[in-house]
Amino acid sequence: MTDVFAHALRRRAARLAVNALIGLFALLPILWGFLSSLKPTDKIVEFPPRLLPENPTLEHYARIFADNAAYFIANSIAVSAASVLLTLALGALAGYAIARFRFPGRDTLMVSTVAVMSIPIASLLVPTFTLLSATGLADTRLGLVLLYSAYQLPVVVWMLYGYFLSLPVEVENAARVDGCSPTRTLFKVVLPLSKPGLVAAGLFVLVFAWNDFVVAVTMTSSESARTFPVAIYFYLGFYGREWGPLLAASIVSIVPIVAIFVFLQRHFVSGLTGGGVKG
Amino acid sequence: MSAVRFSGVSKNYGPVVALAGLDLDVAEGEFLSLLGPSGSGKSTTLGLLAGLIDADGGKIEIAGRDVTALPPEKRDLAMVFQNYALYPHLTVMENIAFPLEARKPKPDAGEIRRKVEVVAQALGIGALLARYPREISGGQQQRVALGRAMVRDPKVFLLDEPLSNLDARLRIRMRRDLKALHAQLGSTIVYVTHDQSEAMTLSSRIAIFNHGRLQQVAPPAEIYDRPANAFVANFVGDREMNFLDGELGVQGGVPRFVCAGGSVALHPSAAVLDAGKLRMGVRAEAIAPGRDKGDLRGTVALAELAGPDLFLTVRLADDTEIVARADPREFAAREGESVSLAFDPARIHLFDAETGIARHHGAA
Repeated sequence: MTDVFAHALRRRAARLAVNALIGLFALLPILWGFLSSLKPTDKIVEFPPRLLPENPTLEHYARIFADNAAYFIANSIAVSAASVLLTLALGALAGYAIARFRFPGRDTLMVSTVAVMSIPIASLLVPTFTLLSATGLADTRLGLVLLYSAYQLPVVVWMLYGYFLSLPVEVENAARVDGCSPTRTLFKVVLPLSKPGLVAAGLFVLVFAWNDFVVAVTMTSSESARTFPVAIYFYLGFYGREWGPLLAASIVSIVPIVAIFVFLQRHFVSGLTGGGVKG
Repeated sequence: MSAVRFSGVSKNYGPVVALAGLDLDVAEGEFLSLLGPSGSGKSTTLGLLAGLIDADGGKIEIAGRDVTALPPEKRDLAMVFQNYALYPHLTVMENIAFPLEARKPKPDAGEIRRKVEVVAQALGIGALLARYPREISGGQQQRVALGRAMVRDPKVFLLDEPLSNLDARLRIRMRRDLKALHAQLGSTIVYVTHDQSEAMTLSSRIAIFNHGRLQQVAPPAEIYDRPANAFVANFVGDREMNFLDGELGVQGGVPRFVCAGGSVALHPSAAVLDAGKLRMGVRAEAIAPGRDKGDLRGTVALAELAGPDLFLTVRLADDTEIVARADPREFAAREGESVSLAFDPARIHLFDAETGIARHHGAA
């Protein structure tokens, strides 16, 4: 008995050690960045390095907000939120249609949806920039929203398609017999039951849109449409790296995403469909 | 006017025939059970009626209106699903109110509330209205599903094996409740089940399906006493029917069924039959085992005491086995004993040996 117990204990200890190592590996650079953002400029790159700041200062945070960070963050929020809403709206309709209806061209649609996912975004930059310029959408937030949505829509369609398939079809049949049209069934029954799927797909788009740098830096030039990642890049200037504001801005950009993940965590825990269907 | 009428309705899944040319009328106020083994076409029939499955051919009418091309939401039916299919994100109250909320024009909130409460009281779930489906028991979920169907006062109720997920005791209680409910509402009910005793006790008529074909539609007693073919005869009844192959013979002016193990006296009316290969079907309760005086003899291979009945599996001389029922207070036999079997001529069924179609029933 004691042998089994000792074995279980050893296994647990080993698992804990591995998890701690992975956690450290992922979080240490962020911790380093955060602590360094509180140091005066001349102490950030001092040698030998020191983990804790001697005289913590918020000067770098003051600097980025003086540099109009709030406006760029607002841009990022607006562009990300609009992209999430647009992709979810279109993705839910498309995913539901593919999951539950037979129609001509359905299989082709499914295959081509997967196929476009494999096109690297870098190869689309030049053609899409040409397209945006021609339509007057270059250097606008709307242009970014449309691009982000277009890039992420195939993934979202597939995620939601898979989620809809996992829902018990009897509940939808019940809604139909109870007098709902297919559209009403989608809104009254399917979507409320799909919250975990919608949250997961939405976060996927959100992280992409919030973090995107390449597309934004290519498609925008003026400050009016500049998103926060592009604004951060400007601290890697021609005259050297401004580590303080750079790190402060990076930390600020992480905060909303972390907050949203923590807030929506419970929605990842599925089980919302429990109890409706027996068997 | 029929409440429901199927005319030549068929459905195929690729090469598989799910339903072949179904003609079936359901009368107003009738409780019709669709009975058959799985894959027989009974659930396909219900799905077609609900509009959840599209027919390949034929016509479906509800209350005289052709609904073949109508989607489910336009057919004004209520359905109770095998797994209840409650809306997990809605309370019991909202579940039952759902069909009313979907109605156009939507009734006002007070009226919806009143109707839901009346139904919930009738089903004894009035105290559960604020709960979610996952917070109530299986039997209660079943009642909510029934309530959701009743609240809309539909043209026809469709019930798809609604009792099969309940435990045995609860099932028998719900069966009684359903019967009382039907008597009280007087509505037309189409009920799918694979449980023949459920169909027997509940139905005004039973439609029996096999391999996508309707085998017989008749009241329970007629299904039991005058099965249209060997399949129906075998499918209904608590135990399988005994079948013996043989042919018609005459002895002393009385028709007899002659088989490998001997011969059995038939009802005099069987004399009108043409000669030819026949299959005799007899239920266990129409065969009385005894010490002598029977038509066939055999050895008891298995004796099963099931409450008030003693079932004896008797092996005949040619190794065929026959199950006979005895009253254990009057007759007892142990395995290995020799017994004789007396057949009740009035309860012998004769089927065509090739097609299985009924040729003669003892009682008529």
